[in-house]
Amino acid sequence: MSSLNALLKAPGAMVECDDDPEAVYEFLCSKGWSDGLPVIPPTPERVERMLAYCDRDFDKAVIKVPPRFGAATPVRVAANAVMAGCKPEYFPLVLLALEAMAEEQYNLYGTQATTHPCTPMLIFNGPVAKQVGLNSGHNVMGNYFRANAAIGRAVRLSLVNIGAAIPGTGDMATAGTPAKFTFCVAENEDNSPWEPLHVELGFPRDASTVTVVAAEGPHNVNDHESITPEGILTMVAGTMPNTGSNNAYYEGQPVMAFGPEHAATVASGGMTKKQVKQWLWERATIPMSKFSQEGIDRRFRRKLADQFANAPLDTPIHMWQKPDDLIIIVTGGAGKHSQWVPTFGNTRSATKALKRADGELVKSVEELKRG
Amino acid sequence: MGKIFLVVPDAPIEDVVQLKSNRTLSSGGIRLGILDNSKANADHLLNLIIEGVKKEYKVDSVVIKRKPTSSRPATDQVLDELAKEADLVISAMAD
Repeated sequence: MSSLNALLKAPGAMVECDDDPEAVYEFLCSKGWSDGLPVIPPTPERVERMLAYCDRDFDKAVIKVPPRFGAATPVRVAANAVMAGCKPEYFPLVLLALEAMAEEQYNLYGTQATTHPCTPMLIFNGPVAKQVGLNSGHNVMGNYFRANAAIGRAVRLSLVNIGAAIPGTGDMATAGTPAKFTFCVAENEDNSPWEPLHVELGFPRDASTVTVVAAEGPHNVNDHESITPEGILTMVAGTMPNTGSNNAYYEGQPVMAFGPEHAATVASGGMTKKQVKQWLWERATIPMSKFSQEGIDRRFRRKLADQFANAPLDTPIHMWQKPDDLIIIVTGGAGKHSQWVPTFGNTRSATKALKRADGELVKSVEELKRG
Repeated sequence: MGKIFLVVPDAPIEDVVQLKSNRTLSSGGIRLGILDNSKANADHLLNLIIEGVKKEYKVDSVVIKRKPTSSRPATDQVLDELAKEADLVISAMAD
């Protein structure tokens, strides 16, 4: 394995600037290495400390990030993780999320370059999420919690800096989304009536996983009145459909993130996740007549002719293609709110388990600590 | 003011080998390839381009391929067919 010192001696591996926080911020922004917010200077010493929790070769790319297809080596990712404010023990989760995005079905190239406002939503499950302090309770999709903020930000900075997802040239998002700063949650497994996402997907309960979803920002479902499963689900199904969603036209796996109180009500009659997905799929629809005439003619009649060429105008358009495509998680704190998260559409989620270099599942992040 | 070293957080563009085509245009004319990326109106734009090319050059044949979706790459099969059946390929999009 190449030593960090040797790697940093390579031409172009380091740059010099004035030793002042504002000067560093100005310099990094001037180079385009930025999300617009101040950062921690990625000095060699800080990068070395970040790599204390990396059991991989420092110079071996975990992914080549489009559109530039820059090689995301642990050294470069660590520099971004330092900038984002990560603690060293967060670093394996940053690498894991990038590895998951390398899966072909995620369509990283498309999600990086599209005009659509999508960004990686990171959903963490398993014991390591708790160990590093990832929030799964109150304000889970909001501010305040360092692990959620910094891990998601480190991934985004890596996509921008290593992949050159620069707005207007590499990232062609028309408007983007505030979620592009960070969108990182843990599932509230302790307060879920259902099996957690990673168990549903076939991973052992004590595995630690990330699921990456090319998501829009979340949309709230407020329901303080319903006290039955059908009541809550009726409100959810009413929130999901909209004619401007990519999920109305493409595949893709949108996320329904139930708050724990809504989830408890929905599960109170014994409904499984699979049954909830089926129930919502059947009802979260829009009649084709609600789309514009141009949309009907050009999208449904022409591009999706195999399904809709001669379909009547009252044909229900489902908000995802197959019932099981909906991803259900439980996250957040007390309160009668849930979150509907549409996606890019032309993407599927990818889930990866945290493993040591020898392939064994990681039970504690300390297993990855060097020395 | 003192100086500080920073680890560069970006990645260089890797060297790309530029392949030079050995194909030569037939004396009869161009075998024109079209790759429609399936964006709305891409087909209209490409048809205009085909007509424009035909006005300027002798075109022997036109082969049109279409990606099922704009945001994923064309399949190897489509690329192989275009390489075999066309002297040059125009790919375009429009929204």
